[in-house]
Amino acid sequence: MNFDFNDDENRLFENVRAIAAAAPAEEALAGQSVDAVSRTLRDILKQLAEIGYLQLGFGNNAQADAVPLMKAMETLAGQARSLFLAVEMSTRVLARAMAHWATEEQKERWLQGLLAGESIGALALSENTMNVENDPLQTLGVRKGGRVLVSGSKNYVVNGSLADRIGVVGMLDGRPALFMVDRRVSGLTVSDRIRTMGYDGLHLAALDLHDCDLPEENVILPPENAGVLDLLRMWENEVLLAAALGMMQASLAEARDFAKSHRSGGKPVIAYQEVGFKLSEMLTLHQTAQLFAYRAVWTMATQPKEGASLIWCAKVFGTEAAERVAGEALRILAGQGYRSGSAAESAYRAAKWTQISGISTEIARVRIGDHALGYR
Amino acid sequence: MDFAFSREQVMFKKEVIRFAKKEIVPRVQEHDLKGEFDFTSFRKMGDFGILGLHFPEELGGGGADVLTTVLAGEALGEAGVDGGLTLAYGAHSFLCADTIFRHGTDIQRKHYIPKLASGQWIGCMGLSEPDAGSDVASMSTTATRQGDSYVLNGTKMWITNGPIADVAVVYAKTDPDQQHAGISAFIVDKGTPGFSAGPPLIKMGVRTSKTSELVLNNCAIPADNLLGNEGEGFLMAMQTVEWDRSALLAPFVGSTTYLVKKCADYAKGRVQFGKPIGHFQAIKRKLADMRIFGEAARALVYRIAWCKDQGRPLNHLEAAVAKLFIGDWSLPVTNDAVTLHGGYGYTHEFDVERIFRDTRLAPIGGGTSEVQKMIISRLM
Repeated sequence: MNFDFNDDENRLFENVRAIAAAAPAEEALAGQSVDAVSRTLRDILKQLAEIGYLQLGFGNNAQADAVPLMKAMETLAGQARSLFLAVEMSTRVLARAMAHWATEEQKERWLQGLLAGESIGALALSENTMNVENDPLQTLGVRKGGRVLVSGSKNYVVNGSLADRIGVVGMLDGRPALFMVDRRVSGLTVSDRIRTMGYDGLHLAALDLHDCDLPEENVILPPENAGVLDLLRMWENEVLLAAALGMMQASLAEARDFAKSHRSGGKPVIAYQEVGFKLSEMLTLHQTAQLFAYRAVWTMATQPKEGASLIWCAKVFGTEAAERVAGEALRILAGQGYRSGSAAESAYRAAKWTQISGISTEIARVRIGDHALGYR
Repeated sequence: MDFAFSREQVMFKKEVIRFAKKEIVPRVQEHDLKGEFDFTSFRKMGDFGILGLHFPEELGGGGADVLTTVLAGEALGEAGVDGGLTLAYGAHSFLCADTIFRHGTDIQRKHYIPKLASGQWIGCMGLSEPDAGSDVASMSTTATRQGDSYVLNGTKMWITNGPIADVAVVYAKTDPDQQHAGISAFIVDKGTPGFSAGPPLIKMGVRTSKTSELVLNNCAIPADNLLGNEGEGFLMAMQTVEWDRSALLAPFVGSTTYLVKKCADYAKGRVQFGKPIGHFQAIKRKLADMRIFGEAARALVYRIAWCKDQGRPLNHLEAAVAKLFIGDWSLPVTNDAVTLHGGYGYTHEFDVERIFRDTRLAPIGGGTSEVQKMIISRLM
């Protein structure tokens, strides 16, 4: 057992922090056009590729990378909330799916570009009609003369309007497949950006696919019983967990700094027990969630059977803790926190997405309960 | 960073669970209901090697690291050992024996540790007082040097193992004008004139541990019974209470694993509205929350143990975070376990009722949750 990060890992975190700190703030992103956000995202992807961040978790080091990756993701998420999700849905979800299931030719064609930060990816998983379980998938591919026609409706696709290529999850030959769809393919309609409560700079969209005509080489066909839906959700859950940790980190830092510098009654407000105790509870939740997340991803990497339910547990705990920590931060920050531009205010709104997206906390609890009962 | 245990640690934990289920758990309910300390189990823990696990073999210990010691505590909880016995074990092995081991002379170590490690003697620690609980520096017990002796006067309160202890580590002020810097630590043997224990307190939970006050009335002890040097007591106490926030928390973590299993078994067997109650989402939610708490707490406890194994004697922040989280979050979990069992959970027939009562001590003993918040906010 070892609770320390090594020097190389700490250097990486510093590099990530520096890139994140230079990225545009949430409120600045919110007002940008699709093209402007796309340019910002491409720029940050390039920088993250250069420091080796994008490649973490791929190749032979996947197991050893698991915990440093979570910490690095937390670091990025803490300062660049929407950009973080955009980066990770491209990298840690779509690219991971490719690394697992794509052929060598497909990897050469798409994966290398994603990991080099040269292209933006998206994964379209949630079905328009049933975004919780998505099982059975309703998006279908039909083979026709050496090509595949894909039809279906997807919703809540992160990077939907930004991505160069989208991995659309659907059924082909009676099993789950990823249809690699180019943004400009005929038959694909991408909705306007969906306006959301939080994640001001995130580009969510709905997709409508009507007989999208793809060459067979654009189909990634995982082996049968690969657990495609569970794995995709698992990777998404890890990203959302890191996002929650980042929110806690940012909210706590903002509230702590304010409590030390803001004076009331002749002393810094941290000197009042109501404030100091709140901060203590927030720090406790953050550290607990952090260690929980680290242990969960480590377990997932080393003992996947035990790891899956642990990720659900850590995701429920971390994402609910994020809302709580952000909420408490708002109480400490008072009017200062209620204004737009406050990290806590933004985190408070964004935390809801981390609880809803991936496996929702409600479904997760049912599954954890089933696991305890031996029902799954 | 990695979270792997060695094969030996994993095997050892399994052995402790097996041992505890066979040798201790069958008597837990009887002793809890009678409010009696289980001397037989305690001696068996000594024979098995748990009481002296982290002491060197030449002193009768097992030579284990802190992490393994924490795993043993977790295993006791996971097997279903009650909070009273694990508390008695903690007060004995860590608050008393470990303080003598860390700060005693070779003579003191050789005299006390083998007897404590085997369970032949029982130890306790006298730190809190009727008017000085969390505020240790305000203690009023004094130790006055008189020739080759110290004369101790004062009253200690909430002393786990107080009525049954053969030896006590007692904190007293050698310089009453000082605050923390005036505190020193002493070894006081049972039978020393002027040293007595009050009657056992009747408690809500952890009823198999015996708790009382200790009275020191012109109690003269040899000057050689001083631990370390005068004025070093506060630092020793701080190092000692860190055990409260690591090894002593481990049984709570193990106990949650036990609860999840117990509750799941009950929910699978209890049929209402034509199906096992485990099929209802509200029940699954309770089970999920129990598991989430247990898993969240686990790494906090391991982290302090690991820090101590790295030779970091004081880990205020890590210890306070673990204590605060486990103290506050364990209560709703045990409450849910009782509710899940319905009327049965309210009776002595099912041990969730005892676990609920035992757990109520978690946010109180070893420094209340409020004290942990004070520590954390100061460190911020």
